[in-house]
Amino acid sequence: MPRESLAGEVTRGHPLHTPEPSGESEHVRVVLGKKRFDAHDVGARYIMRKLVDAGMEVVFIRFALIGELVDAAVQEDAEVIGLSVLTGGHLVLAADLMEALREAGLDDRLVVIGGVIADEDHAKLHSLGVDGVFGPGSKPDAIVAFINDRFARAS
Amino acid sequence: MTDEPKLSSDAGLPLKPFYGPEDGSQRGPEALGKPGEFPFTRGLHATAYNKTPWMMQQVLGAGLAEQTREIMDQLVAEGMEGYFGHKVFNVVLDNPSKGGIDPDWAEAKGHVGVGGMSLSHLDDMRRLVSGFPLEATNFSIITGDTCLVALAMFVVAAEKAGYAPEQLRGNSMNWLLKSFCVDNPDFSPRGAQKMAAQLIRYCTDRMPAWNTTNFSGYLIREAGANAVQELAFTIAWGTAVIEECLQQGLDIDAFAPRLGFQIAFHNDFFEEVAKLRALRRMWATLVRDRFGATNPKSMQARVHVHTAGDTLLFQQPQNNIVRVALQTLGAVLAGVQSIHTCAYTESVEIPTPDQSRLALRTQQIVLHETNVAQVADPLGGSWYLESLTDQVEEAAQALIEEIERKGGFVAAIESGWVKGQLIDELIKKHDQIDSGELVRVGLNRYETEEAAESRPARFTMPPEIEQEAIRRITEWRRDRDQSAVESALEAVRAEAAKDGYLMPLVLDAVRAKATQGEIMNALKDVYGWGFVTN
Repeated sequence: MPRESLAGEVTRGHPLHTPEPSGESEHVRVVLGKKRFDAHDVGARYIMRKLVDAGMEVVFIRFALIGELVDAAVQEDAEVIGLSVLTGGHLVLAADLMEALREAGLDDRLVVIGGVIADEDHAKLHSLGVDGVFGPGSKPDAIVAFINDRFARAS
Repeated sequence: MTDEPKLSSDAGLPLKPFYGPEDGSQRGPEALGKPGEFPFTRGLHATAYNKTPWMMQQVLGAGLAEQTREIMDQLVAEGMEGYFGHKVFNVVLDNPSKGGIDPDWAEAKGHVGVGGMSLSHLDDMRRLVSGFPLEATNFSIITGDTCLVALAMFVVAAEKAGYAPEQLRGNSMNWLLKSFCVDNPDFSPRGAQKMAAQLIRYCTDRMPAWNTTNFSGYLIREAGANAVQELAFTIAWGTAVIEECLQQGLDIDAFAPRLGFQIAFHNDFFEEVAKLRALRRMWATLVRDRFGATNPKSMQARVHVHTAGDTLLFQQPQNNIVRVALQTLGAVLAGVQSIHTCAYTESVEIPTPDQSRLALRTQQIVLHETNVAQVADPLGGSWYLESLTDQVEEAAQALIEEIERKGGFVAAIESGWVKGQLIDELIKKHDQIDSGELVRVGLNRYETEEAAESRPARFTMPPEIEQEAIRRITEWRRDRDQSAVESALEAVRAEAAKDGYLMPLVLDAVRAKATQGEIMNALKDVYGWGFVTN
C-alpha cells in the first residue's frame, strides 16, 4: 500500500532557519538531503548555513525514499545535489541516487556527499559517480570551495 | 595593563579564576541536603556505590538477533553487569526498526542491521530474549518512535516464554517527544505526548518493575544543545509527560518512581558534574512542589550517562580513549546509576569486539582501581562546583520559564522555537570549532597526517543480513491469518482515534502477528502528521 511521503514538506516548515543568501557569490542552487531516519541533522544544518553564507540557495529536505530527493532537485532545478549521512548505508544510498539522477536526466549535476564516511569508502563513492566526498572533520570552507570551483561564473 | 581573560564554561556561564568561602552555594544547606536525602543534589544514595556499583549498560546490537546475541554473550563474558550482578542489556535497533519501517519496505533498503539490530516482528524479539531468566535480566531496547510496539513485542515474547508482565525488568526509552530535536518526527508533538503517557499508563497498571521513560537529554545534546539547554529541555520534556499522565488519570506517586534520565557527559568536566547535580535538585523540587508527590522515590532523578558521542573525533581516534575515560570518571563522581562508555571508534560506526571490551574495561578500571566509588558526592563542597551548580540551575530555570511563557514544551516544539534554539547553538559551536577558538585536539590543533592503514579495525557483518531479514518477514506475513491482522490493526486505529487505552490493543495486534511497521502505520494514521511511507 504505497502512500505519499510529505517528509520534505515537514522539514521545510522551519523557514526561519533557512536564512536569506547574503554572500557575494552567485546563487548556485543546492538541494541538500538527508534520510528521514538518519538521526540528528547537526552536520547538515551547519553545512547548509555555510553554503547560504557563501551565497548559495539551499533547500534542505529529510526524505524517506531517494526519489523524493531527486524530485526536489528537479523542482528546484538544482545545480548541486548534496547528501548528508550520519549513520551509514551511504554506499547503497549513493548508488540509488546516481541511478535516479540519470533517469531524471540530471546526470550533469554536481553530487556531493558528506558525513560519517570512512576513508576506504571514498573511492567506492567516486566510482559510482559522486563528485565530492567529505568525511568527518572536513572543513566547511573546503566544501564551499569545491562547489565554487565548478560554478565560478564571471561576474 | 592587560585585559583579564574572559573565563566561561562551555555553555557560556561566567567563571572566575578562583573561588573561596564567599562563593560556594548561595542557596543554603537545605538546597544541598545529604546524599540520599531531598533534594538529592548530592546523589540518591548515602551509601554511594558500596551496595552495588552502577549498571554497566553498554549499547550493543547489529545485524539480526543472532549477531546481537553474540555481542551480548561477549560482553557478559567480559564482566558487563547490572545491579547486584544481574545481566543488563542495552540493545540498540537499526534505523528502520527505530522508525517503524519493516525491512522489506523500500525505505529500509541498505540500512537493515546497520548500526543496530533489525527487529520488525515478534519472532525477532523471541530470538533476542529466548533463554534468559527474564525476572532477573534487565532489558533496555533503544527504539525510536516505536516504543509502544517494541514494548508490546517484548511483553508478548515474554508471555510466550511463561512470564507475566509484572515480572519483567528493564527500560523503555519512550522517546516519542524527542523527535523534534532530530528533525524527523513520525508523530505530531501532541500525538507523541499522548502516546508517551499511554506507555506509562500500561506499565503503571501491569509492569511495576519496568522503567517506563528515559528523558534523553543526551539526544538533545547531540542535536546541538549546550549543557544548560540540555538540562532545561529535558526537564521541560519531563514536565510535559507528567502533565499528560495526570491528564490521563494517573497518580503522580504511582508512576513518577519509574521515570528516568539519560544524560550526556561532555567535555567541560565541572559543568557536566554541576549539570547532573542540578538536575537531581531541580527534578526533586519540581515533582514534589509542583506535582505534589510525597514518595521520595518519585522525586529521585535516576540517571544513565552516555559519554558524549559528539566529542569523539575521526582524527587520531585513539585520543577518544582518553576522552571517554575522563567522561566516565566524571559520571561516577557525579553519582549516576548507569553508564555507557563509548568505544573509541564510535565516531565512525559500531565497535569491534576488541573495541567494545576496551570501553567496558574503562568503566571497570574506574570502579576497581581509582577508589572513587566508595564516597558519595566526592566533589561536593567545592566552592567552585557548588557555585557552578547554582549557576547552571539558574540559567536552566530561566530557560524553563521562557518555555512556560511560550505555552509549555509541546507548544514550544510546535512553533519551531525549540528546534531553532538547537540550530542557533550548533551553528555557534561549530563556528567556534571551525575557527579554532574551541580546541579539538587532532582536528583543529596538533593535526597529523594519518595513513589509511593505521585506521582502527572496522566492524564487519555478513553481507546477507538484509536479505535474511526480508526472507523472515516475508515468511512471517505469509504464514499468518491476514484478516486477524487487519482487524487487530483496525482496533488499534479506532482506540487511538478516541484517545482510549492503547497498549492492550497494541499487544493484541502483536499477538495477531502484525509487524512493527504495520502497527506503527496504524498509529501514524491517528497521531502522525498525515503521512506514512509504505
